[in-house]
Amino acid sequence: MAFDLATLDAPFAALKAYDWGADAAPFKTIDDAVIAAHGDAALRVELEKRFAALLGAGTSRAAKEYVCRKLMMIGTAASVPALAAFLADKDNSHMARFALERISGPEAIEAIRKALGSVPVDLKIGMISSLAARGDAACVPMLAGLLAGDAKIAAAAAEALGTIHTSEALQALSAVDPLAGNGLGRAVVDARLACAEALISQGKRNDALAVYKALAATAAGKPEARSVELAATRGILACLDTLAAS
Amino acid sequence: MAQRPMKEQRARSRRGFLKATGAAAGAAFAAPYVITSKALGDATTPPASDRIVVGGIGIGNMGSGDQGAFLGRSDVQYVAVCDVREKWRTGGKDRADARNGNKDCAAYVDFRDLLARTDIDAVHIGTPDHWHSIMTIAACRAGKDVYLQKPETLTLREGPLMVAAARRYGRVVSGGSQRVLGDYRGIVDPCWAGEIGAIKSVDISVGGPSMPCYLAAQPTPPDIDWDLWLGPAPWEPYNSGRCDGNFGTGGNSWRSYIDYSGGSLTDWGAHHFGGTIFAADLREVQPTKVTYHPASADGKEAAYVSVTYPNGTEIFHNRPAQLRPAPSVAHQGSILIAGDGNPRASKPVPLYKNGEGSIYGDFIQCVKTRERPFRDIELAVNTMTGPHMIAIGYRLQRSLNWDRAAQQFTGDAEANRLLDRARREPWTI
Repeated sequence: MAFDLATLDAPFAALKAYDWGADAAPFKTIDDAVIAAHGDAALRVELEKRFAALLGAGTSRAAKEYVCRKLMMIGTAASVPALAAFLADKDNSHMARFALERISGPEAIEAIRKALGSVPVDLKIGMISSLAARGDAACVPMLAGLLAGDAKIAAAAAEALGTIHTSEALQALSAVDPLAGNGLGRAVVDARLACAEALISQGKRNDALAVYKALAATAAGKPEARSVELAATRGILACLDTLAAS
Repeated sequence: MAQRPMKEQRARSRRGFLKATGAAAGAAFAAPYVITSKALGDATTPPASDRIVVGGIGIGNMGSGDQGAFLGRSDVQYVAVCDVREKWRTGGKDRADARNGNKDCAAYVDFRDLLARTDIDAVHIGTPDHWHSIMTIAACRAGKDVYLQKPETLTLREGPLMVAAARRYGRVVSGGSQRVLGDYRGIVDPCWAGEIGAIKSVDISVGGPSMPCYLAAQPTPPDIDWDLWLGPAPWEPYNSGRCDGNFGTGGNSWRSYIDYSGGSLTDWGAHHFGGTIFAADLREVQPTKVTYHPASADGKEAAYVSVTYPNGTEIFHNRPAQLRPAPSVAHQGSILIAGDGNPRASKPVPLYKNGEGSIYGDFIQCVKTRERPFRDIELAVNTMTGPHMIAIGYRLQRSLNWDRAAQQFTGDAEANRLLDRARREPWTI
């Protein structure tokens, strides 16, 4: 049975005026509609249209947050422009990503990638983490370019490169000192270890071995890098065991 | 169970283990730097070099309980606490100081400061669930072993990342349900003894998933770092009902709300599912299917959800009583296990590694020996996939299929959106 769109009018009116602490009972109808939109393209289009309208001026941060939570579940490329408009907004950037990160298709990734180059420094880490969550290999050059800048952003970029773990990502990571301070070195180490694990899963054990050996050599004899040496040694042993067996 | 004789404990001391296993494994350990009046040990306390140096992160409620357990161990040197709430932080420091007979226990607001200490071997984490993965992974990277309160995960994506971090750095990471082995032997023993045959179905009665939070803004009190309490969760205004540390899920604690917890389903559920999955010997696997059973047309029976495991065992959450088969064994009416009645070969029940009746002792023993603990993080993650999938089944009101290798639902892109959620900057995993 088709969802009765008229039942949404009052709840959406309540949502437009909503702020934290107000009666949220009317939202139950919207929640039900979001679930019903699975397999009902027309309802989905209608909901997205109504949600996008609420992302405009005149709604509270609480209302925008609710909308982003729903678009996280059913948003499509149609919602991307309205969400992308908030990526540089300190108050709403995270919730815009909350939705965009989960919307499939290239439009959402492109919007986050574009924002990475322009949002304030404090918000860049969020863009980076969402690109990593999407496994966006196309952003590797952009992330590699961040490794030499602000340490916190560089560390986030390194983590993202480890999550993406392509050969290009490993190449970029290999150019950074794994013992660098301010958290960067630890992120680089973790990312290079993740890349080595990916190489092992691809059957490229000699390549992985080279990654582990390089890390072990860098950490050898340095008390502050004992956990790095241990992790690299564990990797070396795992590679050698398998190579010997084969 | 009898405690292992002190002589035997000494024989398996950390120092001896390091010597025996060489430099590679030895790199995992940091010798304790804190020298106390008992540094050289006595009749009841091992010397400092044989004690594990521990700190606690999230020290209220269950965190304080965990702290008490570690403070009660003679083989632990407890040196630091961390909490974003001043009352918990101060209370935790006072308890440690009283136990240590000094004022030396450090107190931190930010867990990163505690993890930066090179003298700490292990941490216990008792924060709300939305912090578990970030802190556990950070601790592994920092070379610490971890005792992590249940439920270990908040999302399905977090689990494999936590396991990867533990394995990558060779850390001992134990989940934290003390009840799995402690409370459920009544169902575990007959199942492992093969007495009830192949387990066909299990009915678990426990509360449901967490819910959205619409609480009003209140003035933020001065004794809490609210931004750090929220951490990776969406920003919301302070309200005591969001962050109070009690165990309720009726709307007056963080366990009620979806941004911070999976609700009773993953909280008490971690115990009930943990005991059940242990009894059914399903800790190594994950469900393959989630089945949503709609409410009856007359509204008399509420909707319920089940998960099916690779061997066909189906675990039902809150199935109506009249639909449940007669159980072969039961736990206090909340877990009903039905077998096929054809006796099978018995298997020895896995126990805590140190032979004590304590998951804390199991963890500390494994820190010393580098064995995997009773509730190793991988087993804990597997266990929690069931309740998390059930929650998603309720949320979407439909059935799903799970591909363990891909860690994704099959053919349902919308369900896969719920595998994880974007974290608020600057927090990442």
